Amino acid sequence: MYSETLLDHFRTPRNVGMMRSPDAVGESEDPSCGDLARFYLRIEGDLVREARFQTYGCGPSIAASSVATELVRDRPVGALLGELTPEAVETALGGLPEDRRHAATMVVDALRGALRHYRTGGSRETSHA
Amino acid sequence: MRRVYLDHNASTPVHPEVLAAMMPYFSERFGNASSIHGFGREAREGIDVARETIAHFLGVTPDEIVFTSGGTESDNLAVKGVAGARPGGHIISTVVEHHALLRTCQALEKSGHSVTYLPVDGDGLVDPDDVRRAIRPDTVLISIQTANSETGTLMPIQEIGRIAAERSIPFHCDGVQTFGKLPITPRETGITLMSMSAHKIYGPKGIGALYIAKGTRMVSVQHGGDHERRRRAGTEHVPGIVGFGKAVELRTRYMAEEAVRVTGLRDRLWEGVRRSVADVRLNGHPTRRLPGTLNMSFRGIEAESIILGLDLKGIGTSAGSACTSGSLEPSYVITAMGIPVDWALGAVRTSLGASTTVEDIDYVLDILSPLVQKIRAMSPAGAV
Repeated sequence: MYSETLLDHFRTPRNVGMMRSPDAVGESEDPSCGDLARFYLRIEGDLVREARFQTYGCGPSIAASSVATELVRDRPVGALLGELTPEAVETALGGLPEDRRHAATMVVDALRGALRHYRTGGSRETSHA
Repeated sequence: MRRVYLDHNASTPVHPEVLAAMMPYFSERFGNASSIHGFGREAREGIDVARETIAHFLGVTPDEIVFTSGGTESDNLAVKGVAGARPGGHIISTVVEHHALLRTCQALEKSGHSVTYLPVDGDGLVDPDDVRRAIRPDTVLISIQTANSETGTLMPIQEIGRIAAERSIPFHCDGVQTFGKLPITPRETGITLMSMSAHKIYGPKGIGALYIAKGTRMVSVQHGGDHERRRRAGTEHVPGIVGFGKAVELRTRYMAEEAVRVTGLRDRLWEGVRRSVADVRLNGHPTRRLPGTLNMSFRGIEAESIILGLDLKGIGTSAGSACTSGSLEPSYVITAMGIPVDWALGAVRTSLGASTTVEDIDYVLDILSPLVQKIRAMSPAGAV
């Protein structure tokens, strides 16, 4: 049902936990599903240097959060705003079952929220997947 | 890796003696039980023995046992069969029945029947007085499970059976979860029809039965030949029936001793979890429960993540809820008990059985506490 990559990220999630004084924070929840993802970013210049996450949800939501923190590291904010899509997260996870695609959508919404937050220098963004 | 199966309410492995009993009926005794020649008679004998074994186990007569493809078909046959003979009649059931029952009732509502779905209390029990109050002059059937598959809560069927008998209303029980685990005898309990399944008690999948008390007026649901005293048309699944009979015979031998042993293991698991994990609750009646069933809620954790975490350690458990297509629906059974959604989403069912050992339980306890801590640590503050 789940790819080895997904199971690996669920088993040993990367970059889990909160970050002290992050440069940007983004949050997304899937109201229909109850899942909630929050990302913290440390950004230097225009490069994402570190991403950390806290997620409440099913296995795929946790794994998608973990893999996404690796996808964004050392990438420019501008490029990520264009390229970071649910499909990219799904590919990085080695695929998602049809009924678990919401996991990638929620994670991307939260991360894009954080990136926009950084761009606008505004407050934390919460979006609903 | 150690493998621990804690999902016996979903299915069980076929007992080796059951498999051995079935094997000849796939090959040398392959005949159609309706044929009059020797090949057919061999198959018929296999069916007759199984039917007698099951009837004896229940304290009923063999002609009151109808073989079906399993619990779902038995529920369909019972409810549609009785209601179909009484068009437009009223049915009393509960909100926590298996989908096989609920969706059958919903289908009947579309064809002119009315259904009252009774609520349950915080332990999952239906109140017999609610049953009494729900009875109307046009009530044609009461259908209530003997035990809930998710929580294991045992329904007060003795009391309900008495109420049904007083009013001469047929009483159907979905008995799939109790059959072969607890001694429930339909006649003493006032049960008119009872659904049973083989694969919950170390028999094969695809075979079940419905007890129908003699004289019960009902229509056929499946039409065709004169099989099963015209109650259920279709060539009999002879190997399955023989396996079912053998499984029941073995239950006669093991049931009482196993119920005590499995109850002890179930309680050991719960005591261990309660000691080692914070914010956990038991869903279901604290004592009036199936021997092997323990349903627990872990607050602040979505059940799927804990089930997956246990699965990666070789432990098989289940949840009533599933996060699919972006709509997480907490189990309707857990919700019906009035359990708040932040607890309901974290409901995990363990169901123990014949193979479960003390070592299995202690292994699960070793895994569970750190797993719960790990998942909770990942969760953002304020989630749920």
